[in-house]
Amino acid sequence: MNRFIECVGVGKIYPGKTGPVEALRGIDFICEAGSFVCLLGRSGCGKSTLLQLMAGLEKPSSGQIAVAGRELDGPSPEAAIVFQDHGLFPWMTVQKNVEFNMKARGVPAGQRRDRARKFIDMTGLTGFGDRYPHELSGGMRQRVGIARALTTDPKALLMDEPFGALDAQTRGRLQDELLQIWETQRTTVLFVTHSIDEALLLADRILVFTPRPGKIAADIKVDLPRPRTQQSDDFTALARELRGLIGAERDFD
Amino acid sequence: MQLRRALGLMPLALLLIAWEVAVQLKVYPPVLLPAPEKVALVFVNDTATVLDHALSSVARVLVGIGLSFIVAVPLGLMIGRYRLLDMLTDWSIQIFRSVPPISLIPLAILFLGIGDKPAIALIFLSGLWPLLINTIFGVRGIERTLIKVARAARAGEFLVMKDIILPASLPAIFTGLRLAVGAGWLTVVTAEMIAVKSGLGYMILNAQLTFRSDLIFAGIIVIGAIGLLADQLVRIARGRVCRWQEGLTATNE
Ligand SMILES: Nc1ncnc2c1ncn2[C@@H]1O[C@H](COP(=O)(O)OP(=O)(O)OP(=O)(O)O)[C@@H](O)[C@H]1O
Ligand SMILES: [Mg+2]
Repeated sequence: MNRFIECVGVGKIYPGKTGPVEALRGIDFICEAGSFVCLLGRSGCGKSTLLQLMAGLEKPSSGQIAVAGRELDGPSPEAAIVFQDHGLFPWMTVQKNVEFNMKARGVPAGQRRDRARKFIDMTGLTGFGDRYPHELSGGMRQRVGIARALTTDPKALLMDEPFGALDAQTRGRLQDELLQIWETQRTTVLFVTHSIDEALLLADRILVFTPRPGKIAADIKVDLPRPRTQQSDDFTALARELRGLIGAERDFD
Repeated sequence: MQLRRALGLMPLALLLIAWEVAVQLKVYPPVLLPAPEKVALVFVNDTATVLDHALSSVARVLVGIGLSFIVAVPLGLMIGRYRLLDMLTDWSIQIFRSVPPISLIPLAILFLGIGDKPAIALIFLSGLWPLLINTIFGVRGIERTLIKVARAARAGEFLVMKDIILPASLPAIFTGLRLAVGAGWLTVVTAEMIAVKSGLGYMILNAQLTFRSDLIFAGIIVIGAIGLLADQLVRIARGRVCRWQEGLTATNE
């Protein structure tokens, strides 16, 4: 087994305006290379915070995080992040947005252009390269964010509710595409969602978070055969179990 | 749309009518209050004089505001980006900017003599503060996620400045430029009444000494017209440069 991300006793306290906010406490988990892990939990239980910590964008208040065997000290070149609120530059066209991560790495302009096109096509945005983000629908913007993250062939994809703003059909299609990328490239995926069904359709493993302070309440292995459907008995049984763990009356999406 | 804009000229038309009426009723002797036709004649008979002085004024504002732009924008980008610089300059900027540049005319003349130098120095100062403050404001307004995207991509500081901080601040910089051009135009006319021997301000003051009230009125009209024109030009430039902003803001100017 190949440990890709290791969190040991990770806690995060934000200095909020009305006093400190404990977003996470005592997070221990090891993520194997090539696995698909979903972080599941209701709003405010620290899922985005943990993702940002693993991305090296925030420093833990306690504990350690290591990525690819190295203690994290700022963003790792091995990981790419897809932000909950897209994080697209409004003054750049889709093409330029998708090129940005490569530009930051000094990839030459010509190569950048071709590669960006490839991922624009892959995410179904063909023909939208010259548009500005405000000219796109919410779902298209999310796809631009995903395309940008894929351009650098990251060993790990950290995705923060990437399909949150999508209709059921588009969501389903992109879930399939993501699974395909994951299977062919053997990328490690950490995927934040608050949808139980989405977690069960995608993950090898689900970390269930509970709030105040955010902590891992359960670590569930999902052995359902792929491709998965919501219609099997095992699926509904697991969904019921997860609903109980989250402490929600029903799936709230 | 054009018609609605034109409606904004209503008060001006009313003023013109009131003026004509006052002339007809001989409220003031013609030496003080010339008829509108007489003022119009100035533009025919004294075209060269008016044009010369107008050009001097415009040239001074261009140079002065150009200098403030070159100084204020890079400085503002740095101050907005680096906390330490902000701490070191904040109060001083607040103090300096509350000194009206016109109050510095005596000092400017003492140190720089009579001529272009004191006038340009004062215009420079009038434009400096609005540009500086708006640039800083623009940098502060950047969405936090966008800075995170850059950090996650491990973008170098120069790329962050050029591709993110600067474009994100451009709308605010243009707001600053509009204010700066307006302030510079006010300052140039005043400064020319005291510190220089050319320009529209000088022309008006000189016309008073030679009892050419028609020339005074013509000068005021030119000052207003150029002020309006300059403002429109900056607005058009802003629209061109910040095209990506269309549809992001609630009101379209
Ligand atoms: N920058 C910050 N400053 C202060 N408090 C923060 C900050 N970011 C998050 N928090 C707090 O930390 C807690 C966890 O937030 P986080 O965004 O990680 O939750 P989440 O699980 O991603 O929620 P959601 O599903 O709504 O995105 C919340 O109580 C939030 O208010
Ligand atoms: Mg979140």
